[in-house]
Amino acid sequence: MATLTIDKVTKAFGHTTVIPELSLTIEDGEFCVLVGPSGCGKSTLLRIIAGLEPISSGRILVDGVDMSGAEPPERGVAMVFQSYALYPHMNVDRNIGFGLKIARTPLAEIAERVGRAAEKLRLGSYLKRKPRELSGGQRQRVAIGRAMTRKPKLFLLDEPLSNLDAALRVGMRVEIARLKAELASTMVYVTHDQVEAMTLADRIVVMNGGHIEQVGAPLDLYHRPANLFVAGFIGSPAMNFLKGCVDTVEGNLATVSLDLGLSLTMPVSQALRPGVEVTVGIRPEHIVLSSEGQAGAFVVQASVVELLGSDTFIHVRDGEDSLVIRDSGGRMARAGDRIAITLPPHACHLFNEAGQRISDTAPATEPA
Amino acid sequence: MTQLPGAETRPALFQCKMASIMSAEAMRAGAAVAAVKRRSASRASTLYLFALPATLLFVVFVAYPILWVAEQSLYAGKTDGGVVFAGLANYTTILSDPTFWIVVRNMALWGAITIPVQMLIGGLLAYFIERHTHALRGFFRTMFFLPVVTSVSVISLVWVQIYAPYYGIAQEYLKHIGIVMMTSPIGDPKTAIYALIVVNIWQWTGFSMLMYIAGIANLSSEVLDAARIDGARGWRLAVHVIVPMLAPATKSLLLLGVIGTLQTFPIVHLMTGGGPNRASEVFGTFIFKQSFVLGDTGTGAALSVIVLVVALALSLIQIAVLGARLSPAGREES
Amino acid sequence: MAPLARSRIRGVVIHSVLFIVLGFWMVPQVYMLSIGLRTPAQAFDAALFTWPVTFDNFVTVIRDNPLGGIFLNSLIITVATVAIVVAVSSLFAFACAILRLKGSMLLYTTLLTTLMVPLASMVLPLAILLKNFGWVNTYIGLILPYAALGVPFAMVILKAFMEDAPRELFEAARVDGCNPWQTYWHVALPLVRPALVFVTIWQFIVTWNEFFLALIVLTKSEMKTLTIVPMQYSGLYMANPGALFAILTLIALPLILLYVLVQRAFVRGLLAGAVKG
Repeated sequence: MATLTIDKVTKAFGHTTVIPELSLTIEDGEFCVLVGPSGCGKSTLLRIIAGLEPISSGRILVDGVDMSGAEPPERGVAMVFQSYALYPHMNVDRNIGFGLKIARTPLAEIAERVGRAAEKLRLGSYLKRKPRELSGGQRQRVAIGRAMTRKPKLFLLDEPLSNLDAALRVGMRVEIARLKAELASTMVYVTHDQVEAMTLADRIVVMNGGHIEQVGAPLDLYHRPANLFVAGFIGSPAMNFLKGCVDTVEGNLATVSLDLGLSLTMPVSQALRPGVEVTVGIRPEHIVLSSEGQAGAFVVQASVVELLGSDTFIHVRDGEDSLVIRDSGGRMARAGDRIAITLPPHACHLFNEAGQRISDTAPATEPA
Repeated sequence: MTQLPGAETRPALFQCKMASIMSAEAMRAGAAVAAVKRRSASRASTLYLFALPATLLFVVFVAYPILWVAEQSLYAGKTDGGVVFAGLANYTTILSDPTFWIVVRNMALWGAITIPVQMLIGGLLAYFIERHTHALRGFFRTMFFLPVVTSVSVISLVWVQIYAPYYGIAQEYLKHIGIVMMTSPIGDPKTAIYALIVVNIWQWTGFSMLMYIAGIANLSSEVLDAARIDGARGWRLAVHVIVPMLAPATKSLLLLGVIGTLQTFPIVHLMTGGGPNRASEVFGTFIFKQSFVLGDTGTGAALSVIVLVVALALSLIQIAVLGARLSPAGREES
Repeated sequence: MAPLARSRIRGVVIHSVLFIVLGFWMVPQVYMLSIGLRTPAQAFDAALFTWPVTFDNFVTVIRDNPLGGIFLNSLIITVATVAIVVAVSSLFAFACAILRLKGSMLLYTTLLTTLMVPLASMVLPLAILLKNFGWVNTYIGLILPYAALGVPFAMVILKAFMEDAPRELFEAARVDGCNPWQTYWHVALPLVRPALVFVTIWQFIVTWNEFFLALIVLTKSEMKTLTIVPMQYSGLYMANPGALFAILTLIALPLILLYVLVQRAFVRGLLAGAVKG
C-alpha cells in the first residue's frame, strides 16, 4: 500500500511531447484505472510510474519520497504486462518466484508464497509447466501471481485483459475484482475498455492526448461527465449528441431548440446567451419510448434495429442527426417502424461550444 | 505517528525522541534519494564493463596490428637494414608490380566463379533437400557440410594427390572424357587458379547450402500457400516465389563471399604457393611473400592496407545499396 | 499417371540424383581413406578404391607419432577460445541490443572491421606482439588472438537474436528487481540458447581448423595443433602416401565425428533465427 503522487510530470520522446504537464494523486489502497483511446498516453504514464521510462520533468513521489530516478524494485512496484512477459525458459513455479529469488528471499519462504499465490489463482496443477504449454487465461494468472507474491506497494496492470477472448475477459475481470478485495496494494490499471474501468475502479482517470480529462468515481463520470469527450467515452453504446442552439434564458433555466426539431428546457450552471450553439447529450438508455399522442413526444423512424434478447437497440437517422435508443423492456421493433420518443430534460446534458458540460442536473434516474 | 508511552509525563524527552525519529526518517528519505542518484552514476559505469572485454581484445589484437600495418606501409627498408619514411612509395611500387594485377585478375575470377557457383549448387541442394526429402534430410544436410569442417591442410594434400597426373584419380576419370593431363592442373600456369577454385567450391558449397536451408525454413508458409492457390507450382513456384524470397540469404552470402574471397590464403599457400610463376597468386599469398619471405614489410603492409580498403568499400557498398547483412537471421528489415 | 504415383516417382528420382551428387562430392574423402587403407605397393594406383584393405598404415602412424598430445593441444586451445568468444560476444551483444549503451553501435561497427582485414596482413604485427609478451609457443598466444578474431561474427548473430526477443521480457526482469548482470544471466542468455549453440559449434570448427596463425605461433613440435602437423608429415611420408593419408584421415576424423554428433543442434540453432522472422 502506498500513496502515489505524480507531480507536474511531463514526458517527451525526442521532439514529441507525449504528456504535457500532468498531476495526479492516487491514494493508499485505491484501485485507479487509467482509461482513454489509443495513444492518449496512459501506457506511457504507467511505465513512468513503474520506473521503466524516465520523466522529462516533474517528480514521482511514493509515500512522499521522491522516486523520480529510482528503479522499479526500489519503488515497491510490481507489474502485469500486456503480453504477460513470462520467462519462456522457466516453469510456472520459477516464473512466479523469480522476483523473490532476485531479492534473496529464503527458499522456504519463496516456496510458501508461491504456493499460496498458486492456490489463490488456481494454478496448483500447472506449477511445473512452461508458459508455452499454458492457455492465454492461465498465462495471465501466472503473470498476476508473479506480481502478487512480491507484496508490492504499487500493483500496476497494463491492459491485462486485452489479449483474451471475450468470454475469458469477463471471467478474468471478476477474478481481478476479487483480487482487488484481497490485496492491500494500491493498484493502477490501464485499459482502453470503459466497461473494465467502470466495473473495477474506485476512481477513473480519463486521459486524452496526454492530459487528464476528468478524474472521479465511475458513477460520477457516468452521471456528471465534465465534457464531451468523457461523456462520449464512458457508457456503451455511447451517449447521443444532438446539435442545437439556445432559445431563451430565464434565471438558471435555458431553453434549447434542437436541429432535430425538439425543444428542451433545463437548468444550467453557467450564464448563457441566446443564439449560442450548444450540444445536448442523452444516453441511449435514458431516451423514453412513449406513444404518439403524449406531450413532448417526437416521432422518428427506425433505420436499423438490433434485437439482443435482453436489450433492443434502435438506430435512428434524421437528417444530420443520428440517435441510438436502448430499450431493456424487450420491445419488438423493425426497421422502418415509426417510434415516438421523449427526452426527459433531467436526463439530458448540455455542453457549451467549448465542449464543457454546463447543465446542472441532479443524478439522473436509473434506466427504466 | 503513534504516541510513545509516558509521553505526556516527559514532554522534553518525548520531543527529543520525536525529533530524532523525524530526523531519522528525513535522513532515510534523503539517503534513499541520494542512493538512487549514486546508483544511477555507478550503474552507468558498470554497464560499460559489458562491452569492455570485446573492446579490449579488439584493441590489442586487431586495432593495434591494423595501425601498425598502416604505419609500416609508409616506410621502406634501406639496404643497411633500417627504415626510412617513404610516403606512398610502397603503394606505387605495388601498383606497378605486374604481380599485383595478376592477383587482381585472380581475385576477380575467384569471386566471380566461386560465389555464384556455390550459390547455385548450394541453393539447388537446399531446395531439393528441404522440400523433397524427409527421412534422409539430416543425412544429406550433414554429408554435404562435411567438407566445410574438414581441415584445410588435409584438403590441400588430398587434392594435390587427386590432381596428380599419373597416380591421381582425376586423371582416371578425365580419361573417360578424353582429357589427358600432362602436368597436374595446379602445376600449369594456365589452369592453376581454376584448379584451386574447384577445390574451394568443393569445400564451401555446404556453407551456402546451409544458409539457404535456413532461408527456406524461414519462408512463410502462408505466402507459399497463397502462391499455390494462384497456380504456381513446382518449377514456377521455385523461380518466381522462392528465389526472390531468399534474397536476404543471397545477399548475406554475397557479402560473406566477397570478404572470404579477399581473405583466401591457406588453400593457395598449401597447394601451389601462389605459383607456378605467380599464376595463382592471391592477396594473402602475395602479402605473405612480401612480408615473410622477402622481408619487405613496407610493400607487404601497403598491400594489406589496399586489401582492407577494398574489402571495406565493397562491403559498405553492398550494405548500403543492397541492404545486405552479415547474418540473415533476425528480423527482416522493413 | 495418377498424381500420387507421379510424386512418388519424382521423389525417387530426386533422391537418386542427390545420392549421385553426394557420391561425387564424397570422392575426396573416400579417396583419402582408401589410400590410407592401401599397402605401399598399391599406394600409387590411380584408382579410387583398391583391395585388399590393410590397417597397417594406421597402426604405424599412431605408434610413431604423438597424435594424442597434438590432439590435446588442439582441444585445449579450441575449448578455451570458444568459451572466451561466447562469453565476450554475448556480453557485448547484450550491451548493444538490450542495454543500448551510448556509443555501442559505433563500437559494434568498428569491431566489424575485424572481418575485413586479411589475416595475412595481421600475422606479422601479431607475431611481434606475441613475442614481446613472451607468448610464442604458448596456448594463450593463440587463444587470445583467436578470440579477438572470432568475437565479431558471434556478436552479429547474438545481437540479432537478442533484438528479436520481446522487449517486455527484459522489462519484467527489471521490475522483478534484476540488475543488468542478472538480466543477462537469467533472462537474455536462456532466451538466445539456440544462437549460443550455433555460435559455439561454429567457433569450435573455425578455431580447430585455423591454420596460418597456428603455424606462425607454434613452432615447437610438442605444441603444434592437429591442423598444422600435416605439413611436416607430408615431408616425412613423401614416399609413403599410405601412411600420409592414414594420418590425414586421423586428423580430419575428430571434427567430422563431432559435427555428426552436434549437427542437429547446430542446424536447429541456425533455423531458430530463421523461424523467428
